[in-house]
Amino acid sequence: MAAVREGEFAALQSLLKAPSKDAVRQLCQECFSSPPAGLGPLAQRACPGLAAGPEEAEQLVSALHNLTRHIVYRGLTRAEDILALFPENFHQNLKNLLTKIILENISAWRNEAQASQISLPRLVDMDWRVDIKTSSDNIRRMAVPTCLLQLKIQEDVALCGNSPVVSALTMELSKETLDTMLEGLGRIRDQLSAVANK
Amino acid sequence: AADKINLIPQDFFAELCEQIIQHLNHKIPGVNTAELCQRIQTSGIEINVGELAKIANIISLLFSTAARNNLSTEELITTLSNAVSALPKHAVQVIRHVWNEQGKSISVSEDARNMATVGQFVDIKWKLGVAMSSDTCRSLKYPYVTVTLKVADPSGQITEKSFEMTIPQFKNFFRQFKEMAAVLETV
Repeated sequence: MAAVREGEFAALQSLLKAPSKDAVRQLCQECFSSPPAGLGPLAQRACPGLAAGPEEAEQLVSALHNLTRHIVYRGLTRAEDILALFPENFHQNLKNLLTKIILENISAWRNEAQASQISLPRLVDMDWRVDIKTSSDNIRRMAVPTCLLQLKIQEDVALCGNSPVVSALTMELSKETLDTMLEGLGRIRDQLSAVANK
Repeated sequence: AADKINLIPQDFFAELCEQIIQHLNHKIPGVNTAELCQRIQTSGIEINVGELAKIANIISLLFSTAARNNLSTEELITTLSNAVSALPKHAVQVIRHVWNEQGKSISVSEDARNMATVGQFVDIKWKLGVAMSSDTCRSLKYPYVTVTLKVADPSGQITEKSFEMTIPQFKNFFRQFKEMAAVLETV
């Protein structure tokens, strides 16, 4: 995440034309959350509110996106560190306002960045049920307990963009295979404890 | 799909039939179609998992039907030739051999395990990791658990599904299984 360039800070000064502090706040959030490809449309929507031409709006939105993402990337959490990024002659009040807004959002933005980083598919939901098989076309009477499990798994967020694909994985576990699962999970738990205690 | 049988070298075909019969005998939880396919592909044969799966299904159906009807080896071969035309000689040889050795021991029905209508869980592989850095956050230190679940689908073929969980998610995941086990104890 490259540092923010001089020219971009200049573009940020267009925010001085914003109708309200809330408008600036809203724009900051939208610019952070938008992927680079979405910045164009975002600029078009922001234009009228800022009384800025399309080119000016594009430069502003791009600068705001880069600034917020850079700060999250670097993991800056203190006001002094963020203020230090701005050039000497930058408008004082705007600088303070932006720093305040960024500090308010930094935690949520960091979580958002973590949630959207590349990863394997993620578990989103889990449902289960315990049944007893009492009879079938082959066996008239029996009492076999069995677990039915359904996992909902969301494919890689980075690939799916705004319409994530969720697939359902259904499986049956017998008492034996449930023990296998518990054994495996128990080992993970032991490892987690061992790492936590280091 | 039957024509693709021609492509499979004898030793791989023998391995496939072996796994199928062992699965029908409940000696192994399922047939490792994907893994076998990869090895076949590595040896230069052009066949995909779907095609191999179809062949495995056909053979499986053949063996289980033969078991249910108590067919002798010769009867099986006759049925086979009627069902599948132009089967390569080496394939017929393999089937004959496998059936001779293990066909009689396939027990049909009288077993709750034969009623799979849903995938059967087979095994879990796992990894505990810490994401150190990413293009969005230079310093992450984000722990996560990756698991791969092996599931034998209703046709007996083993598929794998991998996914990630955060630590809180994992703890909940574990807790749910402990609850399941507790319920299982009481029924």
